[in-house]
Amino acid sequence: MSTDDLETDLTRNTENSPRELLTRSFFFLCAALSVVTTLSIVGLLITEASKFFTLTAPLMGVAGETASIVDFLTGTTWQIHSQEFGVLALVSATLMVTIGSAVIALPLGVATAIYLSEYASAQARSILKPALEILAGVPTVVYGFFALIYITPALEVVFPGIGTFNMLSASIVVGIMIIPMVASISEDAMSAVPDELRQAGYGMGATKFDVSTGIVVPAALSGIFSSFILALSRAIGETMAVTVAAGAQAKFLNPLNPASYLEGALPMTAAMVQLLTGDITGGGLAYRSLFAIGLVLFVITLIMNVISDYVSRRYREAY
Amino acid sequence: MSTDTESSYADGFGQVSRTAGTVFRYLLLGATMFGIVTLAVLLVYVANDAIRPLTADLGWHLTFFLTLVVPTAVVGGYLARRNVPALKLGGMVIGMLGVFLLFSGGVAIVFVDIVPPLTGLSYVVGLLVPAALTVVLTKYEQQIPFTLRVAATGAAFILSLVGVPGYFHSIPEIVRQLPVVPADWMILTLVLGGVAAVVVGQYVARIREDTTAGLAAGASALVLTGLAAVVGPTLGVDANAAAVVTSVAFVPTLAYAGGAAVTREQERIGLLLAAVVIGGSLVGAVAVDALGFAGPQSWVDWQFLTSAHSGTAENAGLYPAIGGSILLMATVAALSFPLGVGAAVYLEEYAPDNAFTRFIDVNISNLAGVPSVVYGLLGLGVFVTYLGQPTGTVLIGGATLALLILPIVIISSREAIRAVPSDMRQASYGMGATRWQTVKNVVLPEAFPGILTGTILALGRAIGETAPLIMIGAPNVLFSLPTELTSKVSAMPLQVYAWSSLFASEDFYTKAVPAGVVVLLAVLLAMNSIAIVLRNKFESEN
Repeated sequence: MSTDDLETDLTRNTENSPRELLTRSFFFLCAALSVVTTLSIVGLLITEASKFFTLTAPLMGVAGETASIVDFLTGTTWQIHSQEFGVLALVSATLMVTIGSAVIALPLGVATAIYLSEYASAQARSILKPALEILAGVPTVVYGFFALIYITPALEVVFPGIGTFNMLSASIVVGIMIIPMVASISEDAMSAVPDELRQAGYGMGATKFDVSTGIVVPAALSGIFSSFILALSRAIGETMAVTVAAGAQAKFLNPLNPASYLEGALPMTAAMVQLLTGDITGGGLAYRSLFAIGLVLFVITLIMNVISDYVSRRYREAY
Repeated sequence: MSTDTESSYADGFGQVSRTAGTVFRYLLLGATMFGIVTLAVLLVYVANDAIRPLTADLGWHLTFFLTLVVPTAVVGGYLARRNVPALKLGGMVIGMLGVFLLFSGGVAIVFVDIVPPLTGLSYVVGLLVPAALTVVLTKYEQQIPFTLRVAATGAAFILSLVGVPGYFHSIPEIVRQLPVVPADWMILTLVLGGVAAVVVGQYVARIREDTTAGLAAGASALVLTGLAAVVGPTLGVDANAAAVVTSVAFVPTLAYAGGAAVTREQERIGLLLAAVVIGGSLVGAVAVDALGFAGPQSWVDWQFLTSAHSGTAENAGLYPAIGGSILLMATVAALSFPLGVGAAVYLEEYAPDNAFTRFIDVNISNLAGVPSVVYGLLGLGVFVTYLGQPTGTVLIGGATLALLILPIVIISSREAIRAVPSDMRQASYGMGATRWQTVKNVVLPEAFPGILTGTILALGRAIGETAPLIMIGAPNVLFSLPTELTSKVSAMPLQVYAWSSLFASEDFYTKAVPAGVVVLLAVLLAMNSIAIVLRNKFESEN
């Protein structure tokens, strides 16, 4: 600002000067890009997936092969070559990875969070937290390779009948991968529990064990629960580890039967990768089935994210 | 909490069993360590498969034990007991050298093999000319209206880089058509040595608070790079490689070590540790060579790093994938950094508190939870099918990965911006600054280290992503380096995936894949350690 006309400078309205307008619009466009991204994902998945189903394809002006939406949602056979698109075969495999990884990650993650927030010294925390971050930072394809080459042979000692590709090893690595997510979000929730509550517990003569399990965990329950959902949604969307380790043959397995974890199957994400590494050409039925699976996957993860957000808002104890 | 415990309060008041608490505590510790220990064991396995330390002669191990391990342990042990900050300084110098050596390899791939040095120089000149014009224009800020200035700057850049077809050539073209062309190593010395000189000069000028010292340091950095390029060939090192490694790795490390030696008197003893480690490695290497001990027959060797995929695991290499990953990272960083920071600035500094802002807010946190394979579908559907781009190019891959990490960049940048104290903003407004001036002069410089840390961590996520690249049709096997934004790209994790699933065989499982995994993890470790050092520095300053 030149000092000559200080008077005019001081009273100048800069709110809508070209420079302010230009920079403000740039920043706004950057923020709006995220909305555009979401709209593109939703729009793309819906339009492409609707070209897949017999019911909706005429609306999109697509002639040619289509698949029945009822068969897609209720069928249990996924065979591209014989044009059988039963997504439940894929969903069951995804569900198995989710359940298997949850069995590992949820208890371990919460235990880790309790240890870090209640027991660990500041120095131990400063070492353990970055070490846990590494678990989440290792590329997922590397985890898949670990499961295939090191974990499956180790499991073979215990379960001789285990397949080369199996859900158990995939679930184990996915579980290890999502431990940090459960641990860090739960720990944030536990650290947010005010110290007065703990002190009150100690004042009543409670031990550290009583305070941790009886006061801190119940008070942080909404955060813990939302960390579970977020971590499981990550496990559902996890792609490369299951593609490498879980198998290539779609099969409908009962997720609640422990024996089926020794077999291989094809989760949704792995099926998408498999569809593209095979030679499918753009526009075919197999190509469009990709977007139908994508839509199912997106809807499931979106619902879980929304639930997690709702739980952490709605049931948060306000202090 | 069981009812047993509760009733025991009433029965035996004042009696507390320590057993439950102790068992619980160690259970928790065990749970915390489970994942870490499992991963550590897996990493040991994969490193053993890839590097095979046991194939080396016993003499080789013994030599390095005597020249490297024993002296390092002695000096390190002494420092750990007497002077921990000095130990940290020594470790920092060694780590810096290691990380920068790794990056100098990447820089060499980019500026020697992907972009020929002359082309690189032509673009540097083409950018410097309009940049100089911009600086001049900024000096006359008050005389020229803002819109005119922006238009002039934009026109200068476009004229310089594109030229006017038919009337005059762009500056890069003019440079490339110069009748006398300097040798590649001269260009590399000028460009990379020049950058190193500026950085080192400013660093020294800042810590010594002396412009002359800075100038001298910068000049010696440039001279050192040139000297390395001249002397290198006589020692059997390629002149280009010598120039790159010196300017990217040696000069910055030397400057840091030298600066610490002069300014931090209490801690400079720590440099002894760095000297012992580097000296010990060199002495060990010479001794092993002289005594004729064979080193480990590692699968991560020069051949692996510099050759392309092959049908046999022994001859397979990672080179095109490394180059592809570097180009992808550059594209992702160029796209996601400005967009992510821009969105974060809008949400933190500009956004009114209304429904639309809240919608963007919720939307970003949901986008962070969308599976990466769905982003791959987005890239496939939007860029390939609707915009008609060719599949699997650097540009498409980079754009898809940029969209994938954008929510992470935005969230971490917002945290960094939020951490800027509001007093500083108020002071700036109080001085009569406009919003943009406040953002530019106060908020962004203050939040920059935090933003940078978040972006590097997000890039680390992007470098390990495979699924989106498969979805956009990146080839599983690529035999040459991608050289342009529109060439087909492969990446390190994609190559690892191809080896471990499409070329599945015992040979690939035990040779090429572990080697690829180790290289990928080394790059990730280097990036994350930079981010962590930045974060620690940032946190200790606040």
